[in-house]
Amino acid sequence: MRKIETARRGDRERRPIAVIQFPGVNCEFETARAVRSAGFAAEVVRWNRTEGMLEKYGGFILPGGFSYQDRVRGGVIASREPVVGIVCEAAARGMPILGICNGAQILVEAGLIPGRTDKVEAALAPNKMPGRTGYHCDWVFVRVDGGASFLSGALGEGDVIPLPIAHGEGRFVSNDAELFPALLGGGQIPLRYCTAEGEVSAESPVCPNGSLLGAAALCNEEGNVLAMMPHPERAAYLYQVPDRIGGAWGDRKSALLEGDASDLFRPGPGAVLFDAFCCAAAEGVS
Amino acid sequence: MIDIAPDITLSGKERSELIRLLGREPSTVELQLFDVLWSEHCSYKSSRPTLKEFLPTEGPTVLQGPEEDAGILHFTEWQGVRYGLVIAHESHNHPSQILPVEGAATGIGGIVRDVVCMGGELIGVLDPLRFGDVNGKRADHSIAIARGVVKGIAQYANALGVPNLGGDLFFDRSFDQNCLVNVVAVGLVEEDRVVPSAVPRAATGEKYVFLLVGKPTDSTGFGGATMASRVLDGEETENRGAVQVPDPFLKRVLNVALHDLYDRAQRRGIPFGCKDLGAGGIACMASEIADRGGVGVTIDLDRVPLAEEIPPFVAAVAETQERYGLALPASFVEEALALFNEEYDLPSIYRGARAAVVGEFTEERRVKILFKGETVCDAAVEAITTAPVAARVEGAAPETAVTARHDLPPEKIGGALLAMLASPNGGSAEPLFRSYDQEVKGNALLRPGEADASVILPIHGCPVGAAFTVDGNPRYGALDPWAGGAHAVLEAARNLACIGAAPLGITDCLNYGNPEDPEVFSQFRGGVRGLCEAVRRIGLRDDPGHPIPVVSGNVSFYNQSETGSAVAPSPVICMAGIVLDGANVVTLRLKEPGDAIFLVGRRRGDLGGSLYHDVVHGDRAGAPPRIAWDEETAALHAVSALVGDGLARACHDIGAGGMLFALAEMIVAAGALPAGVSQIAPGATIEIDRIGTGLSPAETLFCEAGGFLIEVDDKGARALCAAAERGGFPVFRIGEVTERGALEVRSGGETIVNLDGACLFDAWDGALRGVFQGV
Repeated sequence: MRKIETARRGDRERRPIAVIQFPGVNCEFETARAVRSAGFAAEVVRWNRTEGMLEKYGGFILPGGFSYQDRVRGGVIASREPVVGIVCEAAARGMPILGICNGAQILVEAGLIPGRTDKVEAALAPNKMPGRTGYHCDWVFVRVDGGASFLSGALGEGDVIPLPIAHGEGRFVSNDAELFPALLGGGQIPLRYCTAEGEVSAESPVCPNGSLLGAAALCNEEGNVLAMMPHPERAAYLYQVPDRIGGAWGDRKSALLEGDASDLFRPGPGAVLFDAFCCAAAEGVS
Repeated sequence: MIDIAPDITLSGKERSELIRLLGREPSTVELQLFDVLWSEHCSYKSSRPTLKEFLPTEGPTVLQGPEEDAGILHFTEWQGVRYGLVIAHESHNHPSQILPVEGAATGIGGIVRDVVCMGGELIGVLDPLRFGDVNGKRADHSIAIARGVVKGIAQYANALGVPNLGGDLFFDRSFDQNCLVNVVAVGLVEEDRVVPSAVPRAATGEKYVFLLVGKPTDSTGFGGATMASRVLDGEETENRGAVQVPDPFLKRVLNVALHDLYDRAQRRGIPFGCKDLGAGGIACMASEIADRGGVGVTIDLDRVPLAEEIPPFVAAVAETQERYGLALPASFVEEALALFNEEYDLPSIYRGARAAVVGEFTEERRVKILFKGETVCDAAVEAITTAPVAARVEGAAPETAVTARHDLPPEKIGGALLAMLASPNGGSAEPLFRSYDQEVKGNALLRPGEADASVILPIHGCPVGAAFTVDGNPRYGALDPWAGGAHAVLEAARNLACIGAAPLGITDCLNYGNPEDPEVFSQFRGGVRGLCEAVRRIGLRDDPGHPIPVVSGNVSFYNQSETGSAVAPSPVICMAGIVLDGANVVTLRLKEPGDAIFLVGRRRGDLGGSLYHDVVHGDRAGAPPRIAWDEETAALHAVSALVGDGLARACHDIGAGGMLFALAEMIVAAGALPAGVSQIAPGATIEIDRIGTGLSPAETLFCEAGGFLIEVDDKGARALCAAAERGGFPVFRIGEVTERGALEVRSGGETIVNLDGACLFDAWDGALRGVFQGV
């Protein structure tokens, strides 16, 4: 946590974070808001404004939504946009890159995640749950295994974080049966769906989409690019947490009744992910 | 493609009136235009006098009443800026019956434009839905429509990025051939940045042009308004062309670009106007925005971007989705064109989409439409915007029905409760909650399903919440149209009270059959009277003496099957409220073992139109619950204040299903955990002899007289009892929250109901899973 404090103190000299607005994304404004709450400047940047981007920004976030209407498959069309070439370049320079939901789909389609070869190695397939298919919006729990990613250090190993999901295509899959075990071994699955008590599972209802090994997020080998399906910006403040999830966060929310109105805007369970991202951005390009 | 002018629905009298107004025979374009303008859907010709007669539309909470695309309610002030809530309500019943997915999706698409064109940032949608009987003769059809509608709403709103803030669901055979799909959209606006639907007065000094932006115009949605103004004739396939084609992707980009334009113009003090294109397309939108600005307009159809070759009468009135019209000063128009066409690059992201100048506003107050150099429409603005009135006859009031009293021996009450929980009208709407995005925008404080009303914190850092609920019980409307209107408002006010909100205002959607039928017209008049009495009797919590204002709404007639039976009279209310301190809102699930459970409100054995009579006895006759106005309104304002002060731990209103049903919901709500049900706890034990009604247990437990169940600690209990004393309404300490996750009811020293929480949960949770499977 000391790293985060340092990052916050130094935020005025830091370069802002770019939240890229592809046509059809719809979480760009609340994502930028969550970055600002983590102590960093953030700008929503239109997809076709690519000039000078690499120099201007200290990190890139690809927010959630339905870029290009999920034509073909979520993220496919956007991954061909010139701005994604700049994101790849930034990734190669070691800048932190975060893809959330549709942003995660774009990073996978661009081949940045898991990024072991130059090819697209994984995909985000339609959700698969017993008795239902398609879009699913709910709160889930994920267990942190920071591994290679920029989450490690900032987040505690084995921490359990409640976060909301909202997607129709969130099942991490691969044609290569050995890929996911290898990713797990290499610390490239930093978030996995789990029970409230922290027991990881790839089975419904704990895992809401049928993702391999219960993966909720993947990172590249270097750890600076993270693709996650849950939405941390929808859990960035305490007021957003539903009391029905119980546990420590549910109790904290219920305690609001005895508390003060300003407590509503205290950090929620998702805030720590933005802290970790901003911390990585503050450390700068390696 | 449509190349032959379709039948005109204007009556002979209306046609003569048109000839008189124009001083000649109308052209094809004029005929189509007036056919739309004078349709029931656009002109409210049957309903307008009744609405004007009864509905209060002004008051201390009103910034903008019903004459605009949407109403605006004063919300709050934060850091020196005053904010309003923009609110609009529409029906998309006929299109959804014909093509459920597209019909419902374009319902959302249309209503959100009404909010965005007023300058509102979209913050939510709500969806009151009425479908046919899913167990009856046409069950498969009803299920297919229900699934399609939910899918359409989910697809459009989720992609647009607007959270679902609630809705309600009702299944009844009167909707077998005519579903009701009502949609509400809400927005947030800074009060000094409201965008007028008028050409600015400055237009008389500087030249103002008509900029059309969005999807290229095609023939989709041609005849939509007239379709909504007559009974569906069973030839549903013939009407398909009148259903619009949705595109939330384009709408999202369009809305972001439009807000960018508003921002630039407002920062530089450039006056402008904006209006969405809905019924009647380009011609109607341009006429209305010109009329409100006191000017005229000339539209050049050759400059309208088209998706296909279409005749002028189609281009002028087609209801192609995803379009807005702007009145901009000529000096600003190049920048606006560049913003849409280059910066946001509309032409590249959607084939044929763009902004284009298609006309100009004129000092001469005439609406002229040009096509290939010829004038195809030339009428005085007043002729176009003066709506006709259709005198309708009111039938005799229906006779008051006698309510049978179906009792049950105490040992059968538990089984009856389970049957009600497992019924389509009693079960959990969880499948819908999981299909809709409840979280996008990140403002959610209470989501649909967590409490009786949803609450969002739309201004970051500000603890003031905006609360919303939609209500209407067609079982009551069918028995007594007046009660249908009155109870819809009461239920909505109780729902807001449960989370500590004070009402700000209402937007309504009034769904009835054919108004030319005197019986139907009297149902409509009765519903409006009931609604009106309730908003006056309840009044504003913090401004007593003022009725709750109605700031926008919609009337939908001709909801009737081809064989002539009308839908159950269905006035639907959306009530908006304000929560002063978001930290004090409570969910409805029971929380702390040992806490007291209080009943607020007398049990009187009203069972007519109850869920209990319907599910357990198959009886849908009788009279809806009587309303004890003084006691009930005092109670709901007191409960609202108590919860608002942070003195309740859980609160749920008693409405359809009665007291036992409400208590069961407070237990099973704990089971809706993200990762499946592990354990249902806590539970409750109540002693009904403490109520002392002289009624049988079944009459006490299933009576639908309005009331509340509240969980409080000792401090809350004292406050509630004191409030009851002051307000003159009855409260009863009926039991407590228990560690064990079960529901126990005691009477006469014996346990008459003892049901395990998991058993209650399974019945409730499974009720609609089959209906909405695969949505």
